[in-house]
Amino acid sequence: MLKTTISPIILSFAGKPKASRFIFQAFNKVVLQDTTPSARRNASTNLTTLHQGPPTSAYVHLPFCRKRCHYCDFPILALGTSSSSSNVYEEGKEDDPRITNYVDLLVREIKATRTDFDANPNLETVFFGGGTPSLVPPKLVSLVLETLTLNFGLTPDAEISMEMDPGTFDGQKLKELMDLGVNRVSLGVQAFQDELLKACGRAHGVSQVYEAIEFVKECGVENWSMDLISSLPHQTLDMWEESLRLAIQSKPNHVSVYDLQVEQGTKFGNLYTPGQSPLPSETQSAEFYKTASSMLRGAGYEHYEVSSYSKGDFKCKHNLIYWKNKPFYAFGLGSASYVGGLRFSRPRRLKEYTNYVADLENGAANWCGTGVVDLKDVATDIVMLSFRTSKGLDLKEFGEAFGSEVVKSICKVYEPYVESGHIVCLDDMRREVMSDEVNTLVASDEAKIENHVRYLRLKDPDGFLLSNELISLAFGVVAP
Amino acid sequence: MGSMYRASKTLKSSRRAFSVLSNSLKSNRRDPLCIGLYQAYGFSSDSRHSSKEPTIDLTQFPSEKIRNFSIIAHIDHGKSTLADRLMELTGTIKKGHGQPQYLDKLQVERERGITVKAQTATMFYENKVKDQEASGFLLNLIDTPGHVDFSYEVSRSLSACQGALLVVDAAQGVQAQTVANFYLAFESNLTIVPVINKIDQPTADPERVKAQLKSMFDLDTDDVLLVSAKTGLGLEHVLPAVIERIPPPPGISDSPLRMLLFDSFFNEYKGVICYVSVVDGMLTKGDKVSFAASGQSYEVLDVGIMHPELTSTGMLLTGQVGYIVTGMRTTKEARIGDTIYRTKTTVEPLPGFKPVRHMVFSGVYPADGSDFEALSHAIEKLTCNDASVSVAKETSTALGMGFRCGFLGLLHMDVFHQRLEQEYGTQVISTIPTVPYTFEYSDGTKLQVQNPAALPSTPKYRVTASWEPTVIATIILPSEYVGAVINLCSDRRGQQLEYTFIDAQRVFLKYQLPLREIVVDFYDELKSITSGYASFDYEDAEYQASDLVKVDILLNGQAVDALATIVHKQKAYRVGKELVEKLKNYIDRQMFEVMIQAAIGSKIIARDTISAMRKNVLAKCYGGDITRKKKLLEKQKEGKKRMKRVGSVDIPHEAFQQILKVS
Ligand SMILES: Nc1nc2c(ncn2[C@@H]2O[C@H](COP(=O)(O)OP(=O)(O)OP(=O)(O)O)[C@@H](O)[C@H]2O)c(=O)[nH]1
Ligand SMILES: C[S@@+](CC[C@H](N)C(=O)[O-])C[C@H]1O[C@@H](n2cnc3c(N)ncnc32)[C@H](O)[C@@H]1O
Ligand SMILES: [Mg+2]
Repeated sequence: MLKTTISPIILSFAGKPKASRFIFQAFNKVVLQDTTPSARRNASTNLTTLHQGPPTSAYVHLPFCRKRCHYCDFPILALGTSSSSSNVYEEGKEDDPRITNYVDLLVREIKATRTDFDANPNLETVFFGGGTPSLVPPKLVSLVLETLTLNFGLTPDAEISMEMDPGTFDGQKLKELMDLGVNRVSLGVQAFQDELLKACGRAHGVSQVYEAIEFVKECGVENWSMDLISSLPHQTLDMWEESLRLAIQSKPNHVSVYDLQVEQGTKFGNLYTPGQSPLPSETQSAEFYKTASSMLRGAGYEHYEVSSYSKGDFKCKHNLIYWKNKPFYAFGLGSASYVGGLRFSRPRRLKEYTNYVADLENGAANWCGTGVVDLKDVATDIVMLSFRTSKGLDLKEFGEAFGSEVVKSICKVYEPYVESGHIVCLDDMRREVMSDEVNTLVASDEAKIENHVRYLRLKDPDGFLLSNELISLAFGVVAP
Repeated sequence: MGSMYRASKTLKSSRRAFSVLSNSLKSNRRDPLCIGLYQAYGFSSDSRHSSKEPTIDLTQFPSEKIRNFSIIAHIDHGKSTLADRLMELTGTIKKGHGQPQYLDKLQVERERGITVKAQTATMFYENKVKDQEASGFLLNLIDTPGHVDFSYEVSRSLSACQGALLVVDAAQGVQAQTVANFYLAFESNLTIVPVINKIDQPTADPERVKAQLKSMFDLDTDDVLLVSAKTGLGLEHVLPAVIERIPPPPGISDSPLRMLLFDSFFNEYKGVICYVSVVDGMLTKGDKVSFAASGQSYEVLDVGIMHPELTSTGMLLTGQVGYIVTGMRTTKEARIGDTIYRTKTTVEPLPGFKPVRHMVFSGVYPADGSDFEALSHAIEKLTCNDASVSVAKETSTALGMGFRCGFLGLLHMDVFHQRLEQEYGTQVISTIPTVPYTFEYSDGTKLQVQNPAALPSTPKYRVTASWEPTVIATIILPSEYVGAVINLCSDRRGQQLEYTFIDAQRVFLKYQLPLREIVVDFYDELKSITSGYASFDYEDAEYQASDLVKVDILLNGQAVDALATIVHKQKAYRVGKELVEKLKNYIDRQMFEVMIQAAIGSKIIARDTISAMRKNVLAKCYGGDITRKKKLLEKQKEGKKRMKRVGSVDIPHEAFQQILKVS
């Protein structure tokens, strides 16, 4: 790429590790100095300051699972399937010390998180992820929620999501959880074929899936989501279409479709190579993705993010925080937070996590990470996260934050992909801007592109399917 | 430290002789500069030798005590190893210290185990001849490269010598470069001392090799020395033979100074170092000298010998070989083959060397397009130490600004790239090498083409004739492979000139071949069909008329100038097809289908497509933990940096040079 046509972002500034009021002010000052007058006026909504405010979201990691799935590389603690108990729902017993001890730690971690923001807004979203949070006794979930409320406050209409596995809860348990405030369920179905569930090492079969769906409906959970995985070993297009059809029939108002990631160190990682049998070929796998997109959209779902589909107003508010590069807290084993512009991951091992919580309490550790906020990182984060969504990248906002030059550079590298239809350009009213017009704008020295092209988005499904390629191209000009 | 030890060791023997010699010298000379000699005596630029401890005194080595010889051989027959042994034997280097093949100093030489650059070493040797009193000799040894690309180094080295050790591997026998180098020495009227090396090998057959030497070069079997440079066996006969058989340098000591500049290189600290051989007269530090070709004059700031490191001596006498340092800034001022003489005298210039002929040309571009300046700087510096490369700026639409470089062969080209990387840290993309062609158009104009891109694909005037360079190739091989080799040569459009038996098992073939046909993979092919038993050498010959066409490579309809090539019309289809196939393997799948085509003018002769990439998405982005995903994207971004984008197609750097392996 020629130097003259591509201008990278060169701003960067140092921040202090603690999320104190002091640094947030310091951030503001630097940003104000480094941005153009037009950006200064909008400083409060500027992308470069977005992450600086107090978070209104919290991720809570509940790591317990009956056993580890063959594809899974999350930080989990496997409890083992109890053979003595005939009632599977009792697996996460209230007095299982592994669970009570962990929740105890978690509560201590939350309490040790002392913030010093100007304003202390209540939490608007809480997400219990796992692991399998539905294995945790409601009483303990209640304790966590109480602690969060005490420490940060919780708005009455907060979205409180919980990941649940078929076979780990019944109607009663779900009712109890709902009484505590849980109002969104994410059901990990993955597939509607027993042989596939078995091949994944799932601890449940299809019949438990149907039962679980029944419990959700019976309890009147209005806001619920279903997780499916595509490109599983031995999965055929017929099976995948069947799963999608059955998913649609059970009428969740949100569906997450994940393309299988073969992770190093997992059982799948040791056994399989992506694109090779028994995994589907790259072409088949792309076909699965396209099929999901067309079937779900055909059934009235909006494809609002690479792997998320929703009906009506039921986008996951918590996940939207991620895509918008807004700050969020995180608590629990291996969880990752984003506060004060710093991404910070907690230890993935229980022992180290235990030490971490103790250090937090005695002031030896800090809860939001340390380091320097690099504006280039902020910019690439925004590029990467925005392009995952159907809204796309808001060039006006991006230009105000990082300069018009870089906007032009992005448009320039994307020119061939606008032409090939991988990238869609939209104006203020979200009307498509055609590729020849875009070419003229890029070629012109005067035109400020963002005045004509407000949004860039990846085309569904062709652009989404190649999102890594396309995003890394933008990285090349934003942070060369 | 090593050099100090060696210097004082030679002193022991030389100090005794000094008074006698310097006296005789004084009386012999009317030259007023003779006084300067005494001042020069004891001079050293090396501060470790303090003035009270005189260093090497060259005055005790008049011409008759000097022998200048090169070691020449086929590649890998043991020249550098033999040089090691001879330097050890004379105490020039310490036994067991330093690396094997001591004179192979360049990193490329060490890594590849070959000599690329000729190196000179001066040795002092005491010779006892029968009942005569032992007397000291000064010996200049020049170790030369064996590979055909560097045969100009051999020619140059020979011009500073009166004799040559012709080394032949006892198991392999006479090979193609043995023949070539023998004739180089023979035609320069040098005395040839045949040495059969590696007699320690179990497969050694010295008698057979002796017979070959006799039948091919008419060398007397009784004169052949048998040695093992590895074990040291027979080594003691080598230097006495050098002294007895090779004549001393013929120069006239009381004629005006005349020196041959036979090599030069650039040294960070001293500037340009010129390697010289004093033909007539003598030279002292502080002298003013002029260079005949460049017309420039300089003061000699330092003068000395390669022992084997640069060692100041303050002077050089008739017949001696050494170095001089002047205020010269770049090696461009030091034209190899030039005659150096004392300023304000007139001398007959020495014959010099015939200019090097560049066999292959290739584009050299910065891997990162913005680094042109850095590349330019590196090339300028490297050409100071490798004057045999020709360099001219050029521009490619695909690769940006770069250089068209002329090389002596593909190994030379490879070595040049490697040195650019290793010695100057520059990453380069090199384009398909080409040989120089000539085209004639219907309007009578002629075009010399060193870059296929410069040849118009659809010219205004019709091409009426075209010419390509040829070579005369020598191939020596076991007779059982003759059929296969003859097939190979005719496939490569060769014309047989000679077919003789060296002995019962070995055949000598001579062919005229188009240079283009041998430049890339001929030798590899030859080795593979003869299980490695054939050897090959060539020398340039005249241009021949040939039906040549340009093959363009198009990506999605757009011609990529850096991938164009010129071939014989008969081969165009095959080459076009192979190029397309190769490229298909090198270019990764892109976000859209890529059509690769080969074309002559507007006629498509081969095509293929790379289907579009289907999927590259990380659908699982969980719990807000984006760091891993981001790392992956960063890595992908870095990967793209190793690509050149032509139109909208990303081509990996390697593709440009790797697809050259197409016949
Ligand atoms: N067995 C045996 N091996 C030897 C002998 N002399 C040299 N070699 C080996 O032969 C190989 C080539 O030796 P070099 O001295 O590098 O040969 P060269 O002729 O200088 O090679 P180029 O400079 O590349 O032409 C090395 O591996 C040496 O160790 C010998 O007398 N006996
Ligand atoms: C934290 S995980 C598991 C939560 C819960 N235990 C369950 O199984 O539903 C959340 C979702 O990520 C998806 N997932 C986990 N590992 C994956 C992988 N390697 N590739 C693709 N999707 C994966 C699954 O769809 C899963 O439901
Ligand atoms: Mg050598």
